[in-house]
Amino acid sequence: MKKFDYYQPETLRDAFALMEKFNGRARYVAGGTDLIVRIKKKDVQPDALISLRNIEELKGIRHTRGGVSLGSMTRIRDMERDTTIARDYPALKQAAAVLANPQIRNVATVGGNFCNAAPCADCAPPLLIMETTLALEGPGGKRDIPAEEFFKGPGETCLQPFEILKAINVPNPKSKTPNPKSITMTFLKTGRVAQDLAIASAAALVVTEGKICRKCRLAAGSVAPVPMRLKRAEKLVEGQEITPELLEHVAKAVEDEISPITDIRSTEAYRRIVTGVMIRRAIEA
Amino acid sequence: MKEIIHFTLNGQQVSAEIESHKMLIQMLRDIFQLTGTKYGCGMGECGACTVLIDGLSVNSCMYPAFEVRGKSVTTIEGLLGEGNQFHPIQESFVRHGGVQCGFCTPGMIMSAKAMLDENPSPTDAEIRRGISGNLCRCTGYVQIIDSIRESVADYKDRV
Ligand SMILES: Cc1cc2nc3c(=O)[nH]c(=O)nc-3n(C[C@H](O)[C@H](O)[C@H](O)COP(=O)(O)OP(=O)(O)OC[C@H]3O[C@@H](n4cnc5c(N)ncnc54)[C@H](O)[C@@H]3O)c2cc1C
Ligand code: FES
Ligand code: FES
Repeated sequence: MKKFDYYQPETLRDAFALMEKFNGRARYVAGGTDLIVRIKKKDVQPDALISLRNIEELKGIRHTRGGVSLGSMTRIRDMERDTTIARDYPALKQAAAVLANPQIRNVATVGGNFCNAAPCADCAPPLLIMETTLALEGPGGKRDIPAEEFFKGPGETCLQPFEILKAINVPNPKSKTPNPKSITMTFLKTGRVAQDLAIASAAALVVTEGKICRKCRLAAGSVAPVPMRLKRAEKLVEGQEITPELLEHVAKAVEDEISPITDIRSTEAYRRIVTGVMIRRAIEA
Repeated sequence: MKEIIHFTLNGQQVSAEIESHKMLIQMLRDIFQLTGTKYGCGMGECGACTVLIDGLSVNSCMYPAFEVRGKSVTTIEGLLGEGNQFHPIQESFVRHGGVQCGFCTPGMIMSAKAMLDENPSPTDAEIRRGISGNLCRCTGYVQIIDSIRESVADYKDRV
């Protein structure tokens, strides 16, 4: 493994200054569960790592009446154990609980899961169905962007050089629905064994009024270059009564909407079918 | 880049001079000679390198040494009690055949400890989940799960 320097700044400003000093030859590191593996495999060879672990501003889960703000350094384990997340954002809890294994969940962060921009990032589908926005800050200033615009390709994000993901802001889906019982949120994942990366994953948020679906948000992972919303399938569900026939139709539409590949984990054909099935089950849940 | 870092290791204040690109496992094995912690895959897959940092299980093969500054690290050596007495989990592994070649054992036991500290009466499903980050090539896991389950009664009395 190539040698690298290691810095532990306590403020964003110091982190930016270090980044500027190394001018592209340094990397931010959060839990390191993606980045350190990539350094060991020599995929990336930075001269320095700039750790985000000591920056207070990036830590903590803050609940307000309107939603939750997840500091980017929130560990997967903390999301898994937060009782308010379990109650109001159950799909996010379900995703946190099946991400890798205890040792990884104890250090991996939600910000790292996003910034790594893997198509299989388990936190992405549940956050994509909830109108999540991301707070970014760089040496040039701050901006907020919708989570959907963040992913640009496998491993590619819209982050500018030196920019840091500060927080992930999620409006509480229940606070916007008159009857909180009429809303369901589910995350499902198919892998070979417990700690594996997803062969495919799916998340659904469904608001019903009587028998009719008023709102439907669907997302899937490991089935396209980036974690994606399934907007065409959503349209088929909204305004309709959810019947077995409709769900059959939706599963087929999902198969067409995604663009999976064959790799070491699975095949294109299996991914299409299993994603359709998981979306159907997630809507039914 | 080299720095002296101070931290707590198995209950004692220690310090070491270490290079910035080294991982915690290298510091434990090479500087402190604590070779109970094993190096398997080096990539977070096998859990042979599991130690506790502030009570939580972590893969020491991918945890930068610099990050343990001010923290408390517990390795398998730190589980021994007065007069080198085994910890109840260790004893249970011996009694129930949880050890074959032994390479996975320190990591398994550290994962089991982290789990039992948080949840002292796990179901078998919770035990499996608790050791899902640890691979064993020998036992087929059944004896390991038995060992952890059987350590529970003892554990509650003694810890
Ligand atoms: C054995 C194993 C199993 C795994 N299983 C899963 C799984 O089941 N599901 C899953 O989704 N992932 C899995 N992963 C991948 C990884 O653990 C997660 O993606 C994790 O959430 C990454 O977070 P981190 O804090 O460790 O990121 P890091 O490795 O620290 O960072 C990842 C990338 O993001 C950048 N970055 C991190 N934080 C920020 C920030 N705030 N602002 C700007 N850039 C930032 C870093 O520079 C780096 O390029 C697994 C990894 C391993 C080793
Ligand atoms: S050696 Fe650390 S997980 Fe395998
Ligand atoms: S006893 Fe040999 S690897 Fe588990």
